[in-house]
Amino acid sequence: MGLLPFAVRRALQLIPVLLGLTLIVFALQAVALGDPVRAAMGQRGDPEAIARIRADYGLDAPLWVQYGRYLGRLLRGDLGRSFRQQVPVADLIVERLPATVRLAVAAMGLAALLGVAAGVASAVTHGRMLDAAIMTVALLGISTPVFWLGMILILLFAVTLGWFPISGYGDGDWRHLVLPALALGALHVGYIARMTRGSLLEVLREDYLRTARAKGLREGVVLLKHGLRNASLPILTLMGIGIGDLLVGAPLTETVFAWPGLGRLLVTAVANRDLPVVLGATLLFALIYVAANFLVDCCYVLADPRIRLAGERR
Amino acid sequence: MRRAIGAGWTPAVLAVGLVLGVALPAGGESPRRGGAYQFSLGPSDPPSLDPAHVTDTTSHAVVSELFDGLVEFDPQMRVRPAIAERWEIAADGRTYRFFLRKGVRFQNGREVSAEDFRYSFLRVLDPKTKSERTWILDRLEGATDFLGGKTADVQGIRVRDRYTLELRLGERFPPFLALLAYPAAMVVPREAVEQAGADFSTRPVGTGPFRLTEWRRDDRLVLTANPDYFRGRPHLDRIVFRIIPEDLTRLQEFKAGTLHHSDVPAGLYQSIVADPALRGRLHSQSILGIQAVRLNVEVPPFAGNRKLRQAFNHAVDKEAFARVIMEGRVKPAAGILPPGMPGYSGGLAGYPFDRARAGQLLAEAGFPEGKGLPPLALHYNTSLTNRRLAEFVQAQLAEVGVKVELAALDWPAYLKLVDAGQTQMHRMGWIADYPDPENFLTVLFHSRNIGARGNTSRYRNPEVDALLDRADRTMGEAERVRLYQQAERRIVEDAPWIFLNYYSTDLLVHPAVRNLLEQLSPMDSSPTVSLVQMRLVWLAE
Repeated sequence: MGLLPFAVRRALQLIPVLLGLTLIVFALQAVALGDPVRAAMGQRGDPEAIARIRADYGLDAPLWVQYGRYLGRLLRGDLGRSFRQQVPVADLIVERLPATVRLAVAAMGLAALLGVAAGVASAVTHGRMLDAAIMTVALLGISTPVFWLGMILILLFAVTLGWFPISGYGDGDWRHLVLPALALGALHVGYIARMTRGSLLEVLREDYLRTARAKGLREGVVLLKHGLRNASLPILTLMGIGIGDLLVGAPLTETVFAWPGLGRLLVTAVANRDLPVVLGATLLFALIYVAANFLVDCCYVLADPRIRLAGERR
Repeated sequence: MRRAIGAGWTPAVLAVGLVLGVALPAGGESPRRGGAYQFSLGPSDPPSLDPAHVTDTTSHAVVSELFDGLVEFDPQMRVRPAIAERWEIAADGRTYRFFLRKGVRFQNGREVSAEDFRYSFLRVLDPKTKSERTWILDRLEGATDFLGGKTADVQGIRVRDRYTLELRLGERFPPFLALLAYPAAMVVPREAVEQAGADFSTRPVGTGPFRLTEWRRDDRLVLTANPDYFRGRPHLDRIVFRIIPEDLTRLQEFKAGTLHHSDVPAGLYQSIVADPALRGRLHSQSILGIQAVRLNVEVPPFAGNRKLRQAFNHAVDKEAFARVIMEGRVKPAAGILPPGMPGYSGGLAGYPFDRARAGQLLAEAGFPEGKGLPPLALHYNTSLTNRRLAEFVQAQLAEVGVKVELAALDWPAYLKLVDAGQTQMHRMGWIADYPDPENFLTVLFHSRNIGARGNTSRYRNPEVDALLDRADRTMGEAERVRLYQQAERRIVEDAPWIFLNYYSTDLLVHPAVRNLLEQLSPMDSSPTVSLVQMRLVWLAE
């Protein structure tokens, strides 16, 4: 099977997944979030006004009718209007995309740089003190709660040293990006470092590297050109899926650093029972996840023909 | 007609206590022009900058810098002129005639007239607007019919001439003037509303001292001084409202000097008091609010059993609650009207903590040492502080033999249950909508307001109803106070609530800030300080 048929087949498989997702999210929110109009009226709600506003939003219709209407609007590309802010959900999402993409790319860039470097250093010092130290730090990166790490970074680099702003987006100034990207990327530094080390150690045992060394190539060239390149497939896979994670917004990081991204949009919408925003953002997140996985699969097929053949045999 | 400007409740209002004070600005300083004042509005953006849709303090804080109404509150919560230069109230107490200032201009350059107020009020009452605050204006004569679609006009709103507006109520209601200070009664220009449609909420055009120049959602709103403001250009060049969801981050921003004021995160009050660098910047004050566990007096075991309800009140140590659970930030409550509210006298004994008396009353109620009482459910809306509150009450009632089971719910689901009267006991706070006892006593205890309108303990007492009805319509202040106090005493005796605490608020203020604290009123809560007029605030550096 070629790449195109493979991609088309995978894309078609996504339709029922997304449809099922809208149904699950709609049902969950309808049950869990209660009546958003009543909540918005505060403790002094005029029952007639509540009923009128609910009717205007179509919230008095049976749930299945509301769901049907929602799907109908969705097919026309209309994500609805925010209950709370009265602006189109699509606008709210589009406004936050640049901040989210910026943060995700910066976090993944940092994670890739630091993670691969740490993984390579760890692999070449396999079994020694440095290896153990790097792996311990990587484990810490994976297991440190992002909220706590964020606060520590703020205290150290913003409050004490004053190198970076504490929070906010600023005017797009890179200094605002550093601490949230570090906090968000820390988890992935750990993952990438461990994956790089494992993968590189496997490759380093291969015969062709011994041959390369025997030919008199410098160790750096052996390691980077022959070793790392061949070990890179699982690392790239991890990063591909990881970028999906990061784009989904890392709500905690965005909350600690007051970063105006998509994750925070969802958190705020849930807190405010803003159903159209919750549905719109969740759907987008699902799309990003699914798209990231889809791209990784396609990359696999491109990079390693054996995967494609395996698919054919099934 | 008689003049009514400054009619007020000053002595009671001035009784509001400052628990801790910060140094007031040195006398003789003259205001300095310029600078950008930064503070965080809290966790999320204002939902709407359209005055017709403002229901929260976050939106209120921004809208009150962009728009004006006929009147406004001064720091003592007296109603003072804004766009109305003066007003007259007819002897029947139902007709209000407002004389507008000339030369007040919208930010699009057009002069404001009485017709603009008529348009703005009709817009709020028009069902098509879907305003959540129709109750601000629905006492106007004919408003209910207009709301119900029966008439095309509201007879209680009349334009006498270009600068004179007459409002007539269906029946007398002395707090009406205070209602006109709220966003729903602020003036908007018809042409801008019609042009922007639903987007008026994000492209507001008012008469205010500042205009909106930037709004990046979840990040910041920037307001820039309006040089043509009818009361003169503000001292500040800009106000930057930051949106910082995490309270610890807000505190760090304040410490770093990037916020000019901030709130105090829950759980950190004592550490801030102990911190020499922050202690001097902390300002605490009472606000008009009360928190209680409300007992559903329509269901067993509380229905028809006043002694049981009184026993519960005596069984809970409110002093300990205020000190331990609320970190010493609030005062224990003896009654309903909070300090600073007209009618508050401090003279109510309430229900002092007395376990022996609680035991005795329990026995008289038919439940000696709690025997015969099934486990009772105490509902609360999910939050850490509320959970601690519920656990505290549970533990205190357990000491007199009463078993309480706790149930936490998210706010909308909680409200649904509470509105429907499906709880036995539930926690609820109440902050004043306007500084009048009617807003506490009538809204929360009159039988016509049972359920979603405010009376969630479903208290019903015809004598209290009659007292409140009389008080609500009485024009003389002293007589009104007397009637409300009488009603409050009766309600407290009936003990439909376990009265826990009056609220207070804490604010950290940067030393360069001038004329902020002087303007704080007991209806201002941090960090929004929605009633402070930022045009009068200035920065000394």
